Amino acid sequence: MKLPVIFLFLILISQNLSSFAQTSNKIQLNFQLLLGDSTLQLGENYYKTAQGDSFLIETFRFYISNIEFLKDGKTVWKDANMAHLIDAENPKSLSFWVEKPDSIAFSQVQFCLGIDSLTNVSGAMGGDLDPTKGMYWTWQSGYINLKLEGKSNLCTTKNNDFQFHLGGYQTPFNGLQKVSFFTSKEEKIDIKVNLLTFLQNIDFAKENHIMSPNQAAVLMAQQWAKAFDISDK
Amino acid sequence: MAFRQANEIPFLIPIHFPKPAYNFEKNPLTSTKIALGRALFYDPILSRDNTISCASCHLQFTAFTHIDHALSHGIDDRIGTRNSPALMNLAWHKSFMWDGAVNHLDMQALAPINNALEMDEKIEHVVAKLQAKKPYPSLFYQAFGDSLITGEHTLKAISQFMLTLVSANARYDSVMRKETVFTEQEQKGYLLFQQYCNVCHTEPLFTHLAFENNGLPLDTNLNDFGRMNITQNANDSLKFKVPTLRNIEFSMPYMHDGRFKRLNDVLKHYTTNVQQSKTLSPHLQKKMVLSANEKVDLTAFLLTLTDRSFLFDKRFSYPK
Repeated sequence: MKLPVIFLFLILISQNLSSFAQTSNKIQLNFQLLLGDSTLQLGENYYKTAQGDSFLIETFRFYISNIEFLKDGKTVWKDANMAHLIDAENPKSLSFWVEKPDSIAFSQVQFCLGIDSLTNVSGAMGGDLDPTKGMYWTWQSGYINLKLEGKSNLCTTKNNDFQFHLGGYQTPFNGLQKVSFFTSKEEKIDIKVNLLTFLQNIDFAKENHIMSPNQAAVLMAQQWAKAFDISDK
Repeated sequence: MAFRQANEIPFLIPIHFPKPAYNFEKNPLTSTKIALGRALFYDPILSRDNTISCASCHLQFTAFTHIDHALSHGIDDRIGTRNSPALMNLAWHKSFMWDGAVNHLDMQALAPINNALEMDEKIEHVVAKLQAKKPYPSLFYQAFGDSLITGEHTLKAISQFMLTLVSANARYDSVMRKETVFTEQEQKGYLLFQQYCNVCHTEPLFTHLAFENNGLPLDTNLNDFGRMNITQNANDSLKFKVPTLRNIEFSMPYMHDGRFKRLNDVLKHYTTNVQQSKTLSPHLQKKMVLSANEKVDLTAFLLTLTDRSFLFDKRFSYPK
């Protein structure tokens, strides 16, 4: 009795494999989180800059959404997943695959930093968008696009703490950013995210805490987009 | 593959009501999801020390609000900053809270769960507690086809119960359905209502669902500027979401900070105490003049908004 079942199972597997090989491949997006010239380590060792400033990162999480592949400036493929949460604490989250038909060629990739306004007003969602991920404001609806918490000697706050929860989806405080770059890669795309670029642009004498959608959050989100090193190496 | 269920329940729209705002396609009502949502609504497991449930501040027989308290109290007897709103006909709302801070019914429960003065808990911890407490894993399995509990499913289930809280069977509704007629006094009150109140407390929901400054003097202890706290736009200063007047007989006290205990206090405010300011509702610029008799007539009409079948509906009570 068992034999036909196993046989059927094998047929199913082989069919799945063959159809998969014919129609689609997976593109790996791999995020490298950096602080200056070193790989980011959470909660450990202050990073010292040449100017003598120091930074320590305790929480670093952000959303990537609406990934699109373009050819000659036109979108040829969209990631089926609405959003991906990248969390420095979770190494598995730094790399993910996007499925795309083999026949579609692309020369450019673009994605949003954060969650768009339509998703923000669409109610409860699962996966990386589940509100249990700690990336949702409760006192006022909306996703947190970037959560960055740490310490710096530049902060005159208690324990030299800084806390940036950047979000906002409604005008005039829409903090969504777009990142776009050309690439010749087809299977694995490395994206460097250098926090030092971002941190060095912050005036810590004025800004230590941003926790709600406002003008300061929008300006900081624009700086945040600059942390993405998208040179095709 | 989506988990389809045979027990899907259509959302019935009362004949004199508009189209609901809630997107039922993304969260179709089912008997098991509604039952789960009801269990969650009445379970203090949602709070940090398992003492406060949604029903602590939203009691059915007072139209799901917190009577006797101007400002609702939560965990450790901490006093909040606002009067808990009555819950009914939520499927028609596009924003929630007195200042519209919440943009979707699904996300509403997160606010009281996380508020330090209310339940002082985190949704991720609620999910962990539910996962460990029988019979929740099996209730979630029956409802969503997955015994692994998520924030999404928890919130959607609570939404389902709240969506069923429809009040459309008051004496007013019977008159609208031409099953009965108003008394002479109620009819006079209805005409006054249409003249003075309906522009904001618009039939049949008895709210136009938007934000207005109704001329209340600022309580300088609370310094609550309402909608402006959310939009940071000075034009929204002192604006609050217009509440429904349905079941107003049982949902005292009134106003966002519960400053009025009696309907008469409310009428006194609108007729004699409206404060001029830059953001005062344009509909209150002209003084409302009501004689003592007219106030009685208007009150008689407001009492026709009481829906006893809603206040005592066994489907909405503590689940046994």
